[in-house]
Amino acid sequence: MSRLVSRSEVDRMGKRGSYRLGGLGPLGPGPGRPSRPFRPSFVRPEHPGTTVGWILAAVIGAVMIAGGSVLGLWFMPFVVGLATGLAMRWGGWRLRVSVPAVVIMAAAGWGLALWVPALRGLPLGATARTIAVTAGLPAITVLAFCAALAVSVALGLAGLWLGRALTPRPARD
Amino acid sequence: MVPGRRRWRRVRQVSNGVVAAFVAAAILLLCGAGYAGLPALGPLLDPAHGAWASASGGQLPESQVLSLPGLTSTALVSFDANGIATINAASRPDAMAALGYLHARFRLTQMDLQRRLAEGRLAQLVGPAAVSSDEFELRLGLLRTARREWAAMPRTGAAATMLAAYARGVNDYLAQLHASGDWPALYSVAGVYPARWTPVDSLAVQGDLAQELDYTTSPLDYALLVRSLGIRRTMRWFPVVPGGTQRTYDPGPYKAQGIAPVTGVSTTAAPGRGSAGAAGGQPSGGQHPAGTGRQSPAAIALQSWAGTAGQLSAGVAGQASAAVARSAVTVLAVTSALPPGQVARDTAPGQVAGQTAAGSAWAANGPRVAGRGSILAGTAPLAGTVPSAWFQVAISAPRYDVTGISLPGLPGVVLGHNQHIAWSLSHAQDQSTLFYAERTSRARPGQYFWRGRWRAMRLVRYAIPVRGGQTRHLAVDLTVHGPVLTDAGQAISVDWTGSTGSPDIAALARIGAAASFTQFRAALAGWRSPAQTFVYADDRGNIGAIAAGDYPIVRHGAPWLPLPGTGADDVAGAIPFAALPQSYDPPGHVIATAGQRPVTAAYPYYIGTTASDLDPAGWASNQYAVLGRRSGLQPAGFAALQARSADQIAARLVPRLLAALHRATLTPAERQAAGVLRGWNHVLDAQSAAAAIWSTFWPDYLSATFGPWWKAAAVPVQPDPAGLAFSAGQFGLVQALEHWTLADPSNPAFTPPGGPARTAASVMRVAFGAAVARLHALLGGAPSSWTWGRLRGTTTASLPRVPVLGASATAVGPTAVGPTAASTVTASTVAAGTVAAGPVTAGAGAGAPWTVAAGYTLPAGTANQGWRMIVWLPAASGRQGIEAEGIYPGGQSEDPASPWYDNLIARWASGGYLPMPPVGATALGRIRWELRP
Repeated sequence: MSRLVSRSEVDRMGKRGSYRLGGLGPLGPGPGRPSRPFRPSFVRPEHPGTTVGWILAAVIGAVMIAGGSVLGLWFMPFVVGLATGLAMRWGGWRLRVSVPAVVIMAAAGWGLALWVPALRGLPLGATARTIAVTAGLPAITVLAFCAALAVSVALGLAGLWLGRALTPRPARD
Repeated sequence: MVPGRRRWRRVRQVSNGVVAAFVAAAILLLCGAGYAGLPALGPLLDPAHGAWASASGGQLPESQVLSLPGLTSTALVSFDANGIATINAASRPDAMAALGYLHARFRLTQMDLQRRLAEGRLAQLVGPAAVSSDEFELRLGLLRTARREWAAMPRTGAAATMLAAYARGVNDYLAQLHASGDWPALYSVAGVYPARWTPVDSLAVQGDLAQELDYTTSPLDYALLVRSLGIRRTMRWFPVVPGGTQRTYDPGPYKAQGIAPVTGVSTTAAPGRGSAGAAGGQPSGGQHPAGTGRQSPAAIALQSWAGTAGQLSAGVAGQASAAVARSAVTVLAVTSALPPGQVARDTAPGQVAGQTAAGSAWAANGPRVAGRGSILAGTAPLAGTVPSAWFQVAISAPRYDVTGISLPGLPGVVLGHNQHIAWSLSHAQDQSTLFYAERTSRARPGQYFWRGRWRAMRLVRYAIPVRGGQTRHLAVDLTVHGPVLTDAGQAISVDWTGSTGSPDIAALARIGAAASFTQFRAALAGWRSPAQTFVYADDRGNIGAIAAGDYPIVRHGAPWLPLPGTGADDVAGAIPFAALPQSYDPPGHVIATAGQRPVTAAYPYYIGTTASDLDPAGWASNQYAVLGRRSGLQPAGFAALQARSADQIAARLVPRLLAALHRATLTPAERQAAGVLRGWNHVLDAQSAAAAIWSTFWPDYLSATFGPWWKAAAVPVQPDPAGLAFSAGQFGLVQALEHWTLADPSNPAFTPPGGPARTAASVMRVAFGAAVARLHALLGGAPSSWTWGRLRGTTTASLPRVPVLGASATAVGPTAVGPTAASTVTASTVAAGTVAAGPVTAGAGAGAPWTVAAGYTLPAGTANQGWRMIVWLPAASGRQGIEAEGIYPGGQSEDPASPWYDNLIARWASGGYLPMPPVGATALGRIRWELRP
């Protein structure tokens, strides 16, 4: 495809600093390739393992959080978040995927731990209302559930941040 | 990369690491340990533990075998479909251990709150908001009394073995909770957990019950009224003996029988309460020298209830000096700020007569009862809450076959029936609280003047742990009379009968095993507090009543005012048991008690003033009248009487009101309102227009009569509105106004100070006009369209009565006009037997961060009774013939998530009953626990 020479380029001819080797053309690093539509990349090209493997790892993380709750390890979302933060450097995961992953793992983990007793017939809804009222909140069932999931997510994200901070990206020379 | 950029990048990485570590540490700390009152959110909201674990308490129990190390042999507990439990045990201690386990399983929070309240440890759980309550309780000394009582109790006696076994049962459940972590939500949220239960805790709970029913501040109210209204007017308007014609259950003749010594433990400074009579040099130990004051009972009585103003001396007036009044204000401000129900506050304005927290009980026999047996009906003391303060249970053990209600925290059944007798309780008129103005001197700190010389006060120090705050320290001075409540202006100490303890556990155990009135009466001989009227019926067709308790008699002075503390006015002793108000098989075949004065003016002992007469409306008199006209009564007839909420004052005064309006010039609205009243049956029905008019007129009438006097005298109402303001809750004023309206319509009280002469009729016309105008403004429309239910609902409060626990907003519910909240139980839902609405959350959004449970708003006119019971004992029937039914609001469980939290409220609110488990029954229900040692 022929390229049109703009009027401004013609005007610059003969003036100081206007000559370049080669033909007339725009300033800058030469002709670029046609722009592509933005497609976010969730992993760096060099990441190890398969995507399925990573999803499986996330499921295991959620189960670990749920299991930790059963064992009384309330801080397990933090541990899983921390592990994710440490692994994301090695795995080449970007923040835009590791944050949602930790949020989902933390919420699903504690959500699972809440769901199982409900399946056994425990009155979780009424208990949630009692907890809310006891804590001085309005007697709305969903409040206690949201509070629980929010704590889990906060713990997970704090762990993620710390894990990421502990494994800084090496500087490129 | 250039070195500068690399360095900058390194700095950024380190900074990021530091900030990330700091944030992570902060979140972990917040979640793990909490901060500034915020609980540790991690353990709290951990799904498998923390507060969520309390969900297990919301499940119905399952049949299972449980291991209870506190037992000596296997016991069986069964539950019927409504959750009512039956215990079968091989011994009474094992039955008490099972009861302790059962109470803890279903009412742990209630029990723990009660003991914390009594022992001044509420702030440890609740936080700074409860410090004032803790200070009050530690000052009053329920804990001191409980400790002394337990220390003095023979370990092999019935009471000690019951208390110890009960504590073992409670602790067995606490051990299970420690293992499972399934604590009630309150503890998970607060991060503070119940300590092991001890017999002292049970005795403290017993003291708390005595305080709720018996501790009053009326002498301090009297002091302020005397200071403002003058002594003559005060004693006319708040007389010792009411001017009306209340029906007593002990009409006499009476015989003065001397004064009995005051027994019990001493927690005061030496020489101890009741030893003021130690004129003979008797040592203390709480034992009063036998007998006999220096004055005859008649002389003491004459001094004590010289209720006519003309006989009052200047010395008596001096009992209400300016310094005493200043101190009274201080003490009253503290007491009136306590949560409703923590001390005896009598009734709230507007409560339905005869259905108050005072309880009521009546019995009939002979021709009044079908089968010529006896029937006993009772509503227990303590107002209705959700769940009820009481816990229904049947216990079967050797020499203890009882069914009835127990109080979580205490071993045994408080009222109910066994195979031969039935009994119930109601308020007994008794001034259990005396206040003393101690003589102190700035030159002699820590000393007081008593019996001619200066004596050292006993100093007791307490530390009050506060959740989310610093530990507070409290020093309490004790004189020979009791703890010093204030030294602001004038040191005031309190001498309360509850401070000597009372062998209630042993007495109730003996009552449970009694088979005759003689045994029943003997069991009550040592009962000291709270003073209660025990009403009795048996399967031989006998009925009876005894106002058991410690009725202090002072040597000198007017005990309804603060007394000088220098010794001359000390307690000389108590009314002998044989001389207490009592009745047995009266000729009218009816005994009715509702907190009324039980004796006539001829009774030779002082038992309090109209301030402690809780039946101003004459509800008991009405029962006498109604039952006296009937014969062949069966439980259904008693049930109708128990549910009936007719206003007796209205029944007597409405005709006078209509007569007063007859010749008056009335507006059209007033004419219509008078017409509505004309056809009224005096029943306070939610749909009644007449009830709306009357319930607005009556306080207006009180206000129109007494308001000008209060204003002119500048009565200081603020320190204690319940005791100082003119209201329908002021029983002295209520009785006085009713009496004047009926018998003395030209009484000078109707004429305001400096105003034109008025009569009862003219004041009624003014009050009626004001009431109709107010109702018209509030409700609009024609008077016939007004309904009482739009003015007032009855709210059954949540059980915890600490404001921060959500009770303050629910004492007696909404007085606002207009439709009530969506969660209000409507008349139709109650009538249909279904309560669709959920609990009214009390306090949430009203600055009550520790609201635990919820109350229910019920239709206006619903009797707020904490327990209703009817027992029919056909003559010589044996246990199979006894028919007993009872009910309370809520259910067995305190857990709002449990189906047994509110399963009985609809039936209760609609006036229904449930059959009580029969005595001696074994494993009635399908859910069974086998408790193995």
